[in-house]
Amino acid sequence: MNRPVRDHEILSAVFAKMDVMAMTVAAGVLCSLLLFLATATLLLQDVPQDYPVGPHLRDLSNYLPGYGVSWVGALVGAFYGFIGGALAGFAAAVYWNLTHYVALGVMLISAAELAD
Amino acid sequence: MGNYQNMQTTNQNVYGVNLKLLNAAVRFNALMLGLTAGTLAALITFFATHASIAKWGSDSGNYLSLLAIFFPGYSVTSGGAWVGAFWAFVYAGTSSALSYRLYGKVLGTRIADILLSTVPTENPVLKPSVLRLHGISLGLAIGAIAAVGLFCSTAWLVIRGTADQSVHAALFANYIPGYSVSILGGLLGAVELFALVFIACLLLATVYNKIVEFRHRQS
Repeated sequence: MNRPVRDHEILSAVFAKMDVMAMTVAAGVLCSLLLFLATATLLLQDVPQDYPVGPHLRDLSNYLPGYGVSWVGALVGAFYGFIGGALAGFAAAVYWNLTHYVALGVMLISAAELAD
Repeated sequence: MGNYQNMQTTNQNVYGVNLKLLNAAVRFNALMLGLTAGTLAALITFFATHASIAKWGSDSGNYLSLLAIFFPGYSVTSGGAWVGAFWAFVYAGTSSALSYRLYGKVLGTRIADILLSTVPTENPVLKPSVLRLHGISLGLAIGAIAAVGLFCSTAWLVIRGTADQSVHAALFANYIPGYSVSILGGLLGAVELFALVFIACLLLATVYNKIVEFRHRQS
């Protein structure tokens, strides 16, 4: 059902701030799950005996100590995924809010100059 | 004042939504998201390049140097890090801005109903509300851009004649059954990637909104 939308509601949607904590946790959970599933997918595939499983993904251990393409490695990867995702989510939310504050500041200064 | 009211009236659609303001709002947020994602991607590329150089020295170009296929002029060197940062800003900024434009289009006139977790304040500038995410719109927007991105990347590998040598791109088939470095494989991969990204966005939005709901529950 459509109802009239007032201008201040549209402005509220534009300048609504992102919840930093919520974005941090949500991005962390998503990345954690992605890295776990990426590892698990390789582990569940049929490969010939003595054939290396996921040699490319295993190279992540260069950056993530303890990670490997194994079930334990998948759990370690989930932990690192959460940390990495949380950092990215935190940075994105803070930067999003910051750019809006800066843009808002520029607009208010411009408006004040025009009023003068 | 009279002019302002006239402008408001002429810009409103049948549901009383100020379309000019709505479009300007979507354009503004697309620009902000483009700046946010572009800057983050540029920083990540810059520091990943330098981390690689610090760890492996002259042998550092193993995987990262593959970026040169899509980032002309990029190399795993100090100078190349700046080139990589530039291209990462361009690609991530453009795709994010396009994603938000698409997100705004899908949300349309429901933007205020969907995106606000609290009752909109009379002074949205100085007392901002808290943003909610709409998983379906987010999934459609980001999924579409990701799908187009995968198809274009695959097509580029085919066009430049290196499809057969693109063994790393072919590894996508581990996660996207049926994908191959060919036009048909790119199309199939794009459809499947759209579905995967759509599900990921639904999950992100659900977790985010639940936490927002919990933290900003009104008594």
